Amino acid sequence: MKEKIAAVDHVNFEIREGEFFGLLGPNGAGKTTTIKLLCTLLVPDDGTAVVNGFDVIKEPEKVRKSLGVVTGGERGLYWRLTGRENLWFFSQMYNVPPDVARPRIEQLLKLVELQDRADEQVEKYSRGMKQRLHVVKGLVNDPPILLLDEPTLGLDPSSARVIRDFVKDQLQKEQNKTILHTTHYMEEADQLCDRIAIIDQGKTIALDTPTNLKKSIQSLEVAKVQVTQFNPRDQESIRSIEQVKEAVVEYTDSTVGAAEITIHAEDLDVVVPRLTELLVKGGARIIALHESRPSLEDVFISMTGRKLRD
Amino acid sequence: MNLTKEWRTFKAVFHRNLKLFTSYNAWIVATLIWPIPLLAVNIYSYRALGTDASISSIISRDFGISNFAGMIIIGTIVYLLYNRLLWGAGVSLQSERWMGTIEALFVTPASRMTVLFACGASSVIEGAWWIGCIFAMSWMIFGVEPSIASWLAIALGILSTMVALISVGVFFASFFVLTRAADQLASALQAPIRFFSGVVFPVSALPQLLQFISYILPVTYGIQAMRKAVLTGGDVASISFELVLLYVFALVLTIAGYFTLRALETQAKRKGTLYMY
Repeated sequence: MKEKIAAVDHVNFEIREGEFFGLLGPNGAGKTTTIKLLCTLLVPDDGTAVVNGFDVIKEPEKVRKSLGVVTGGERGLYWRLTGRENLWFFSQMYNVPPDVARPRIEQLLKLVELQDRADEQVEKYSRGMKQRLHVVKGLVNDPPILLLDEPTLGLDPSSARVIRDFVKDQLQKEQNKTILHTTHYMEEADQLCDRIAIIDQGKTIALDTPTNLKKSIQSLEVAKVQVTQFNPRDQESIRSIEQVKEAVVEYTDSTVGAAEITIHAEDLDVVVPRLTELLVKGGARIIALHESRPSLEDVFISMTGRKLRD
Repeated sequence: MNLTKEWRTFKAVFHRNLKLFTSYNAWIVATLIWPIPLLAVNIYSYRALGTDASISSIISRDFGISNFAGMIIIGTIVYLLYNRLLWGAGVSLQSERWMGTIEALFVTPASRMTVLFACGASSVIEGAWWIGCIFAMSWMIFGVEPSIASWLAIALGILSTMVALISVGVFFASFFVLTRAADQLASALQAPIRFFSGVVFPVSALPQLLQFISYILPVTYGIQAMRKAVLTGGDVASISFELVLLYVFALVLTIAGYFTLRALETQAKRKGTLYMY
């Protein structure tokens, strides 16, 4: 008999009107599953959710009318249709009257600077252009609530910044839309979200503003050590150094033992000499060592003992 | 039901499908090349047994169909139409999966049934092109001379057959929502349907027991209606039995399809299989 695994288990949160709310967690944490439950693409085995006052199980059509959904990646658009045709098609699926849809589509194309390429087939678009089209596709019905599922996934930094600025400045600040945003990019969550729920293995492990989340580990000092020829057997020894609260090793090139070690400690002045001694003894070469301010990643590490990328 | 909403959905899906369909030019060549050898194989299988006149006289005497080549051509056209509409409506959701758009479509409040009927209707355009091509080429290549007494009977025959066959596609669509393996099921049914509906021979030539299966298939009635209207000078009254049955099939399959689609969509959403390739 197959073992049943709960992709999402007791995830509870409430989002305020006009809020930019983030779901932060590693791949497989349950972020996309949560989004799919909220937009009625999945039916939960147990529990429910209310979107814009409508129950996702009992009133799925009303939920769908209230939402715009934006996913990351290459999927979700008709590549053989033009950008304008895609927006028109989806506006009609949302029953937007043609006299409203036409000017809105023009406006949306202009907002994401696609008006000059609007009549080209989507397959000719770059990855960033497709993603911009994805975002405005989620706006053709002018929904009060937007679900953004990894909207900057795989984009180059410049395209990702355009998307981030657009959703923050235009959609939240100017149009006062309520936004639920999933990401595994901690900087993105930190920059955009008013509040963040950190989820891991289908469960909410923290929920607060980015500032408060970081404050929760303020008593800890954080150091990052870059090494080569790291001896994996030293990992446990590092953890047992006095005052070390957490130590996570992330290999950047396992063939040469290149790794970045993140250390959480009560007092780095005590820890660093012992750590360097241990590393050198184990045959590692220390490339760099620097102290850093706690980030959301460190919040995640302190709670799970793992990095977001693990 | 909000008719304006349904009409908007229908128009948009219909228009989208035509755009997608015509964005590939190869289909024009494919539809011209593919059906002719299919017809020729069957027609020459009969011709190997005797002259056209002698074979037609036997079929006419035993089964009341005056032209064996016409019998095959009409059977093949209706069968191809069945195939086209089954794949057009039934497999439309599978196509959305392949294109990666099924989630984008399913998060909209658009009615699934309207989407499916619009997919079926847009397949009719492709089907009409096939019918036209096959008729024209059959007339030129195989020398078939239709015996038409009522154009109204032909129009009603085609329309009713299409409505029934779109409903078959809509019914099948629900299985495509549940599982990506549904296309294997649809493919597996192709040969039996071709056989039992009497595409290249009269159903009455089958043993009695097998005829029971033939008469629970809408394709059989579509073929019978069209053979009567095109080959034996049948009028509307002479095909009324088949027409009524085709609409009964359409009604039953649409209602069954609606409930099956709802049930299987919920099941697919529980299992998380809706989006798997």
